[in-house]
Amino acid sequence: MSETVQMQGLAQVEKGRSLWQDAFARLKKNKLALTGLVVLIVMVVLALLTPWIAPYSYEEQDLSLGATPPSWEHWMGTDIFGRDQLTRVLYGSRISLMVGFIATSVALCIGVAWGTIAGYVGGRLDAAMMRFVDVLYALPFTIFIILLTVVFGRSMLLLFLAIGAVEWLTMARIVRGQVMAIKHQEFIEAAVAMGMSRGRIMLRHVAPNILGPIIIYTTLTIPSVILLESFLSFLGLGIQPPASSWGSLISNGVETMEEYPWLLIFPAVTLSLTLFALNFLGDGLRDALDPRASLD
Amino acid sequence: MAAPSAKAGIVACCAFVFMLLCGCTEKKLSNVEYGNQNQILFYGNGDEPKSLDPHLTTGSPDNNIIINLFEGLLSKDHATLEPKPGVAKSWTISEDGRVYRFRLREEARWSNGDPLTAEDFVYSWRRALTPSVPNAYAYMMYYIEGAEDFHTGKITDFAQVGVKALSAHELEVTLIHPAHFFLQLLDHHSYYPVHGPTLEKFGGISDPASKWTLPGNLVGNGPFVLKSWEINKVIELEKSETYWDKDAVKLRGAHFFPIDDQQGEERAFRTGQIHLTNTPQMDIEKIETYRKKDPDVLRVVPTYASYYYEFNVNRKPFDDARVRKAFALAVDRKLIVEKVTKGGEVSTVNFVPPDPAGYQPQVYWQEDVEEARRLLAEAGYPDGKNFPAYSLMYNTHDNHQKVALAVQQMLKKNLNIDIQLENKEWKVYMMARKNLEHDIVRAGWVADYMDPSNFFDILRSYSGNNNTGWKNAQYDQLMNQIAATSDTARRNELFEEANRLLAEEMPVLPLYYYSDLNLVHTSVQGWYDNAMHYHPLKHVYLQQPTP
Amino acid sequence: MLRIILQRLLTAIPVLLLVVTVTFVLIRLAPGGPFDEERAVPAQVLENLNKRYHLDDPIHVQFGNYLFHLLQGDFGPSFKYPSRTVTEVIAAGLPVTLELSVYALLVAVLIGITAGIVASLKPNSLQDYVPMSLAMIGICLPSFVLGPLLILGIGIGLEWLPVSGWGVSPGDKILPALTLGAGYAAYLARLSRGGMLETLSQDYIRTARAKGLSEWRVVWHHALRGAMAPVVSFAGPAVAGLLSGSFVVETIYQIPGLGRFYLQAAFNRDYTMILGMTILFAFFIIVCNLLADILAIWLNPKLRRNLEKSR
Repeated sequence: MSETVQMQGLAQVEKGRSLWQDAFARLKKNKLALTGLVVLIVMVVLALLTPWIAPYSYEEQDLSLGATPPSWEHWMGTDIFGRDQLTRVLYGSRISLMVGFIATSVALCIGVAWGTIAGYVGGRLDAAMMRFVDVLYALPFTIFIILLTVVFGRSMLLLFLAIGAVEWLTMARIVRGQVMAIKHQEFIEAAVAMGMSRGRIMLRHVAPNILGPIIIYTTLTIPSVILLESFLSFLGLGIQPPASSWGSLISNGVETMEEYPWLLIFPAVTLSLTLFALNFLGDGLRDALDPRASLD
Repeated sequence: MAAPSAKAGIVACCAFVFMLLCGCTEKKLSNVEYGNQNQILFYGNGDEPKSLDPHLTTGSPDNNIIINLFEGLLSKDHATLEPKPGVAKSWTISEDGRVYRFRLREEARWSNGDPLTAEDFVYSWRRALTPSVPNAYAYMMYYIEGAEDFHTGKITDFAQVGVKALSAHELEVTLIHPAHFFLQLLDHHSYYPVHGPTLEKFGGISDPASKWTLPGNLVGNGPFVLKSWEINKVIELEKSETYWDKDAVKLRGAHFFPIDDQQGEERAFRTGQIHLTNTPQMDIEKIETYRKKDPDVLRVVPTYASYYYEFNVNRKPFDDARVRKAFALAVDRKLIVEKVTKGGEVSTVNFVPPDPAGYQPQVYWQEDVEEARRLLAEAGYPDGKNFPAYSLMYNTHDNHQKVALAVQQMLKKNLNIDIQLENKEWKVYMMARKNLEHDIVRAGWVADYMDPSNFFDILRSYSGNNNTGWKNAQYDQLMNQIAATSDTARRNELFEEANRLLAEEMPVLPLYYYSDLNLVHTSVQGWYDNAMHYHPLKHVYLQQPTP
Repeated sequence: MLRIILQRLLTAIPVLLLVVTVTFVLIRLAPGGPFDEERAVPAQVLENLNKRYHLDDPIHVQFGNYLFHLLQGDFGPSFKYPSRTVTEVIAAGLPVTLELSVYALLVAVLIGITAGIVASLKPNSLQDYVPMSLAMIGICLPSFVLGPLLILGIGIGLEWLPVSGWGVSPGDKILPALTLGAGYAAYLARLSRGGMLETLSQDYIRTARAKGLSEWRVVWHHALRGAMAPVVSFAGPAVAGLLSGSFVVETIYQIPGLGRFYLQAAFNRDYTMILGMTILFAFFIIVCNLLADILAIWLNPKLRRNLEKSR
């Protein structure tokens, strides 16, 4: 028994590194998650390279051509304005991925900061901060987003802020839960005993150790953000023409689903693939980093 | 805990499956089949009507129902649109064309049995012109002597207005000057009679929140009465038993559905839930499919309506007529109506449509990209250089967006000018337009009556509907002259002068004349295509066509 | 327990007040008023209308007025439909939206949880992969894509079910409920699978199995309760999601519910309608969150003890 305790002690000292290596090893074994990661990387690279690799302009029209099914000149066909769909899907991925990453980052920053402070400081501050979260949780946010876009017009900035403002709440809750769980662990108490300031402890010890759940949750937030954006586009409140996002492409494609099915299929498949990839990756990360975590 | 929860689960599953099966096995008659058997028409009516009060409404979904609940002095022939006797069975016009005497039918009744008298019309028109009543069409009554003064509060005694009840069934109307389309106006909903005692019972003539138009309260004089009104679900009409011409009415009832989604409407038609779609525009991409597969139900009807863009001439660079003309010349309208709107619209370089009764606008210019570029360079923006950033505004609607996108690209390609597209909801759009906050804004005008003055009047310098900021004294003078003339030939001459002036100044960018695109089931008879989209249900009936 | 409920209800009041205030301010900031029409409305008429609806009073007076009437249960007249009050319009649409949400929830719970449990019983087998892949599709396919696909396939292609209306033709409630519930079914499937997996690996389950209890009893009697915890905690936000999801579904299927009304009211600047519905939605969400929390505490005695300990 004493050997095990010794081993445990050793393991704890090296815990930081071997946790990550361990996790990565587990992740590598998960084929689905790896596929997801690859798909995601391909998507991001394509999106970044779009201005150079896109075969046509995303707004130039060819009215006499009209909507044509996929062909050698237009791999994904053209829409009713004769615009190349492949180009529009590529540019759409720039917008959708950008919305996904930026809005999630906004949620991340606010949520992590809020949750860490609340969870670590505890006491009255925690109660007040979480009460605030509870209050906001009760607001019908999607409704507010609709109202905001109707009031202030459609702008990208508004979209990012509004979406980010919806997602940070859950992030704050999760982070706070995690922080409270490790708050009383020995290495934290050791740091306190050493006289480290609260701020430094939060930054250097708490944050890196809760990174796991944060990464997982972030990976799972991005798809819901992208879906939220496409929902808003469907209602006519999202991206404005002639620009496109996956959501607006799908929304347009739905209207002409029977006449020109390719206009729906390609953006829908692209969206779904990306969402699959993100979800599988998130699952894989969760299994890798926290094998005993309950699904949240 | 175990047994009850297991049992509950099983019961729930069974209930669900049962529900599913219920839907599949019971094959009820579709609405169309049911309607055909029972002479009930199912009508796809677009937006939910705001109000069924003929003096308070402005939307066409509202109007589609109102024309069946009420009847004016005159009505129109549903095929030729010529004025026909309505409540008035005959009339005389004085020598100078200003005094009209109408003889009302003795057998005309309200839906509650009360006799309809000339006094009812005096009451109704007084109500329509009362300043505190939010009647957006009051200006259509200004042809009557004293009407404008009464409406603007200059006089307060309605007895001074030129409408008098000479007896129970004789009505005399005096106009300021002769207006040969006045008889047409009488079929407009703003001239419809309303039942005084009912209005008074529910709060008086100017209470906008009055409940007198709700089912059970509403009293009208038309061929149908209001049976029920479930908000956002359905409005049911049934045949009136007190209408003077009820024997000519074959339908037993009509159900109006507020379907505001174009795709939803087409689906409802396809699955037999409605007999016809009556929103002005159907889903563009489905037109071809119907042309090929089911052409009998597709109705493409050119209408007396114009689709155009308004410039804001108070803003640089649109204060320069050359810039406006450059834009107008650079747009390929044929391509738009053939490839974008696809509804058989007629592309045009004129703002005012040809009047089926006579006036044909002449053409003064053609699209010409070279000339457009030249004009733009002359105005100081060669090849689009230094052209300020500006935007094209339109109200949120698929079809407007499509046209705007096409125009945007044409201007970019032909003039090398980048424009932004701004889409706003109806309310915001309306306000911005009125306050001249736009650079270019999309506009449309559907005629209220068949006369070119209906369109030309919009661009008078101080007209409330002039959203361009363009003021031209010569144009105003022409308008006044037209209003004072009743000689058709002379009027057409004057119209043409005005048209030429518009072609020189180009305060608006004409695009095309609207077409109505509707799907009408083959069992609907008595539904005639006409340029005013006028479809009273009095003469409609359901019968499968003989093969 | 009672104390917790009361506490929550008390916090609900300032929340609702906040909602009212924020919405009120937002609406007034919006350009365009309720009386803008295409034909020019004479200035005098506009004046009269504004006076009658008290739109020309200073804004704090209007706000106070509104609150006063609100406390009496009067949401005010609708601007878009002058002869109706907001209460009437809401009363017309609310039952429809509620019914749709309940059916969707039923779909989500029945299909989702069953699928999740079935999948968890034989992890990493076909029995697991198939439902979970379908669930993944359900999560990644938005309702405004699924809806039209179902309409096209089942409604128009096979002609099994009607494609628009609510309560007009038999079976016209099925497709909308499916469309709205599908995404949640998928989510619940994954959640319940995870919850079950975790619960099934617990010691007390092993004990139960060792005792010789049938698999059926083990699952139903012991595991289910524990597995439901993540599901229940999901229920609260799910309601908010169902409400906003109904906007899309009601538009696609032309259902006369509140969702469609809300969008129209926002676009029409129907002030009183927007306020009334926002308050209603907020109220619902608060109540549902409360119910979900109560359910969670009741299901998990550990939580209950923790709660009492931390007070």
